[in-house]
Amino acid sequence: MQTPLALDRDPTPVPIVRLSDEDLMGRVAEGDERAFTELVRRFQGRVTNLVSRVLNDREASDDLAQEVFVRVFVHRRNYRRGSKFSTWLFTIAANLAKNEIRRRVRRRNWFSLDALQEVLGDSSSHLADPTEGKEVSMQREQLQKTVGSAIASVPEKYRLALVLRDIEGFPYEEIGEMLNIPGGTVRSRINRARGILKRKLIPLLRKEAEQ
Amino acid sequence: MNCRQARNLFSAYWDDEITQGEREWLESHFSSCPSCRREYDALARTLEALSDLPRVEVSNGFADRVLAAAKRRSPAVDRMPVPVRRWVPITATAVLLAIVAAMVMQWSGMPLGPRHQGSVALEQPVLTQPQPVQTEPATPAMATVTSPDWVARAAGVTDSLFDHSEDVEFILDPVTLRKGRAHTVVRVQPEPARGEQAVITF
Repeated sequence: MQTPLALDRDPTPVPIVRLSDEDLMGRVAEGDERAFTELVRRFQGRVTNLVSRVLNDREASDDLAQEVFVRVFVHRRNYRRGSKFSTWLFTIAANLAKNEIRRRVRRRNWFSLDALQEVLGDSSSHLADPTEGKEVSMQREQLQKTVGSAIASVPEKYRLALVLRDIEGFPYEEIGEMLNIPGGTVRSRINRARGILKRKLIPLLRKEAEQ
Repeated sequence: MNCRQARNLFSAYWDDEITQGEREWLESHFSSCPSCRREYDALARTLEALSDLPRVEVSNGFADRVLAAAKRRSPAVDRMPVPVRRWVPITATAVLLAIVAAMVMQWSGMPLGPRHQGSVALEQPVLTQPQPVQTEPATPAMATVTSPDWVARAAGVTDSLFDHSEDVEFILDPVTLRKGRAHTVVRVQPEPARGEQAVITF
């Protein structure tokens, strides 16, 4: 039976939920499984959301998010103490998501831009037709699907920066560390991604606003 | 500044990473330029749509599945200490010491086995003229190698590392060149093999 070594040594243990992410990761590096589980609980939502938005594939995102945390555990001794845990975690997540996008592109198991335009076209006509009598919630759901597809159509190198910034809310500097690019490049990629997304979505958003 | 410069500031304006001067200028530009105002509103609506996206829900038991998968994947070294292979550094150190000892002995003038034999060879008469190779018709190569005369002559050849004034002559097997590759000519006829000579000067 494996016991959490770090907690056993500590005469006055701090409740694990009150430890910082970095302290928890320090314990994980020593083999503390409870600390690892706590870290997974803290970040599982954000990591799953990131990979889901980047891949636009809910089913695959669960497996990929799991793989992110498995890598954290397997490579726990590579974590540099003192560095921000979330930056390290999302660097792993971004790399895995990037690899998955490229693998899908290689296997041609990914929808094409033409297919996306079809989706956008269908959505546009669907939302533009007030006689269909759809519920507002259904329209919103459809719009969210379309936004998800539009994000997935943004080129990979812009997409990751966009999701990290505009969905996960990371600061530019941290995104630069995660993607291993300078801050200026992060800004230009995000500007570019926002422009692409705006051109794709604004006809839909204007029509929705008019309704 | 013009509209193009104004649009370059849109992202920074949204992120609130703009200087006070730029903010005042941009807001005054919006009041006088409806086109830029519409463009910025479009960007703002797009980014609001992104932030309005619902968070993806994590499936039940995710943390437990992750822990189980992580423990399966984690290398055994993490749970069970593996004996370290200590023979590698020991062997490397022994080899290094042997090399250093050999170099020290050579520099200090202490005789080494092969060099000692070489110094005896220096006292032998120097072979300067090539001698015809006598071979038997059936196995010419073997006859050349095992000949007592050849051994005696070879022992008398000067080590060119110590005597640079002499040429050393080698008897080579006949070789032909075909399409850039060398092929040794094997003669099975009863006539004796005839060697060609090459002179290599060190």
